[in-house]
Amino acid sequence: MDERLQRLKERVREGYYRQSRQTTGIDLLAECEREQLTWMQRSARLTRRQCEAERVVIEPDERIVFTRTLLEVPPIYSPEQEARLFSGRTMHELGPVNNICADWGMVLSQGLLRRREIAQESRARHAGDPEAAAFLDGAVETIDAVLGLAARYAAAARELGRADIAALLDQVPAGPARTFHEALQSLRILQAVVWLSGSYHVGLGRIDQYLEGYLRADLEAGRLNLASAEDLLAEFFISLNKDSDLYPGVQQGDNGQTITLGGVKPDGSPAVNELTRMALRISRDLAMIDPKVNLRISGDTGLDLLSLGAELTRKGLGFPQYSNDDVVIPGLAAHGYNLEDARDYVVAACWEFIIPGRGMEVVNIGAVSFPAAVDGALRAGPAAGDTFDGILSRVREGIAAQVNHLAGEYERLLLPPAPYYSILMDGCLEEGRDLSRGARYNNFGVHGSGSANAADALAAVRQFVFEERSLPLADLLEALDANFAGSEELRCRLADAGPKVGNDDERADSLLRWLFAAFADACEAYGRTGKGGILRPGTGSAMYYIWLAQGHPGMREPVVEATAEGRRKGEPLAANLAPSQGIRVQGPISVLQSFAKLDYRRICNGGPITLELSDSVFRDAEDIRKVAMLVRTFARLGCQQLQLNALNLEALLDARAYPERHKNLIVRVWGWSGYFCELSPEYQDQIIRRHMFQLA
Amino acid sequence: MVNGIVFDIREFSVHDGPGIRTTVFLKGCPLACRWCHNPESQSARPQVVTSPAGPRLAGTVYTPEELAGILNRQAAILKDNEGGITFSGGEPLTQAAFIARVIDLLDGLHVVIDTCGYGSEASFRLLLARADLVYYDLKLIDPALHRSFTGRSNRLILHNLRVMSECRTPFVIRVPLIPGVTDTDENLSAIAQLVSGLPGLIRVDLLPYNPAAGAKYAAIGRKFDPGYDEARPVNANLAVFQAAGVDARLT
Repeated sequence: MDERLQRLKERVREGYYRQSRQTTGIDLLAECEREQLTWMQRSARLTRRQCEAERVVIEPDERIVFTRTLLEVPPIYSPEQEARLFSGRTMHELGPVNNICADWGMVLSQGLLRRREIAQESRARHAGDPEAAAFLDGAVETIDAVLGLAARYAAAARELGRADIAALLDQVPAGPARTFHEALQSLRILQAVVWLSGSYHVGLGRIDQYLEGYLRADLEAGRLNLASAEDLLAEFFISLNKDSDLYPGVQQGDNGQTITLGGVKPDGSPAVNELTRMALRISRDLAMIDPKVNLRISGDTGLDLLSLGAELTRKGLGFPQYSNDDVVIPGLAAHGYNLEDARDYVVAACWEFIIPGRGMEVVNIGAVSFPAAVDGALRAGPAAGDTFDGILSRVREGIAAQVNHLAGEYERLLLPPAPYYSILMDGCLEEGRDLSRGARYNNFGVHGSGSANAADALAAVRQFVFEERSLPLADLLEALDANFAGSEELRCRLADAGPKVGNDDERADSLLRWLFAAFADACEAYGRTGKGGILRPGTGSAMYYIWLAQGHPGMREPVVEATAEGRRKGEPLAANLAPSQGIRVQGPISVLQSFAKLDYRRICNGGPITLELSDSVFRDAEDIRKVAMLVRTFARLGCQQLQLNALNLEALLDARAYPERHKNLIVRVWGWSGYFCELSPEYQDQIIRRHMFQLA
Repeated sequence: MVNGIVFDIREFSVHDGPGIRTTVFLKGCPLACRWCHNPESQSARPQVVTSPAGPRLAGTVYTPEELAGILNRQAAILKDNEGGITFSGGEPLTQAAFIARVIDLLDGLHVVIDTCGYGSEASFRLLLARADLVYYDLKLIDPALHRSFTGRSNRLILHNLRVMSECRTPFVIRVPLIPGVTDTDENLSAIAQLVSGLPGLIRVDLLPYNPAAGAKYAAIGRKFDPGYDEARPVNANLAVFQAAGVDARLT
């Protein structure tokens, strides 16, 4: 990385760009009220006014421009109006369309002026359809807003004597990108405006696919060489970190600015190219939290590419996250995705598989708490006087009830109009239908959380209560109610002596598989949602590994107290697919073998196996190659997704004590990485505990 | 039938031989090196280890069939990844008959023996006949110093080194660099002279002292009393090996 890039990176880390920020945002509400604008009109007006209010920032050494200066996305309705709009309806998270992926390649190759023409042609066709006309008018307004913003940047560049920047912006985003540089500049502005319009978790998708043609043409024509191309891509990656503190998320860093590399093309042929490797190298050398890298692999992926991935893992950023095409693509196809679309999947903010340009999916409508389902089933046990099978049948009912409850809530889902995002998708303009009204795929995803805890709890109950008959169910329930006060010996027996997920122990793994089958059955039984989609069961936990154990304001899921695998009240559940916390396992191979037993064709929403390796594992090229072999083993065993973290316990402990010394320490938290010192203490402690355990 | 006692089985043990390997740590060691970082490996009996992650009993007794069964479950994965099984310790030589039986029951896996070399020639030959590679520790060449810092004479160790070389089993010499003890120029030169030109020698690995060596003593209720200055930088003198024509590296 040369001096210029170092400087650009340091400026971002020092918060240099904050000085350009405007202290007051725009006020839209009065204007919207005065003109009595509809929701659609307000949404378009928001994009327009935000673009107009952006101040131009061009640093002398920048070659890709746009820096956000507006702190906030202003409301377009008052809180009272919003409450009325959503009365009896379900708001998803913060409200706006989020956590999807645009068809960036299409927009880059067409340019906004062509998108505008398409909107107008469609407007003419839909003249008799007021709703379509209103949407298309809104879409055109947002296109004009972005063109205006780009024109102001171009004019300012000219004044500053930056003819190079002005020339770029004369071409894009209005026209089709012709070069790699133009494509990156166009993408920077197009994506930034999505954030400015209030949408979030704005994924960037398969950059190594849709940008590769530009790169190849430049290399062939001699306009770029590999070094100058890397320089541009590195600057683009740095630029994605400039404004990320302004993005909404549960924790800073949880911003869903992901890229998905590698895999296969829609026709099934290998998709790995020079840009795939370049993006991995740059991410490794920059060591910044954006963009978050996903790498699609298969059992046949070569160790050279996987070694590049391992070198990135060594940086401790918590990525790349690996998705196994051998498993993911058939899973999506089994859930109704057309094969070409399934092969084109990308990973959303955390791990959910979505189709760029064609999915308006809500991949995280909530979580099923497996531990709560088990707990409820146990509590009904003494009265029912039943068998282990009786407990299982009530667990099944409990899972179905949770699925039905979440899906029922989302039958009333109301998504605000998204005229700007719509122009970046396939078919919205053509069909005169706003993205919020649906796209080709409109499925809902449900996380299946605390799975290892629930399987371990069931395994302990089967062994101690029913097989050995050494623990009456009533005594167990009493101990759980007392949070194991006075029964520490029992708690240790439950925690240590029973079979555990993560040790390739069929006694526990069979129950894990059973839980997910019951979950998949419940989703299938639910059938079509009102949005015309299905429910996709998944293996992720997101923040639910904390929330389901400790509660959180406004959550729809049940909270569980002490549980039968020996977990005390309030202690976190396992994150995603991982052994229960505090369980000693033989090592990563056994963990992979346990989770390889799931039927991933039926659980296709995503959710990674989470493995942590001490950074001491990665000493030299030979070690890197071994980590690459471990990742290949994950794929060959038929697991679905893998999040591999490199952690240094001393660094974590020191960072908790002296945060000022460790501002750059990055850790993977659940589906994302953040700066350790910026995480709240309960997340810090959880990460430290995970790591201590591993070294013990 | 002879059973074995194991204090840990660790998968993906990346520094114990080629490829993806699982390392079996045998419990019990005839030496008592002052710098031992695995104090729970010394006694051949089960004992409780207390750590921030909670107490745990170190020391599980297996029949050869049980241990081989556990290891064979991952045989396909280990073979697919250029790896195998490493027997470490503790000291494998003290349980040679058990390990030999386990190896005979393994599903054709590559085997590394990680040994201090202290044991009878007969025991050692049992393992040499079955090992693909040996990691052989050499600590101190001076007999008095060896006895003083490890509690035992180095006579058997030096003898077994010759036995191994005559058997032509490929081996790597591993030298723990203990500040002021094993890292003296005299000791390192003596090691270099001794191993130079030995048939079967692949290379010499110098293992820099780990200042966390004493970390586990409190966990088993012992006091760490090294008898040397832990803070002193080690003398990683690779030149004496080069001079003797021996491939040596710092790991």
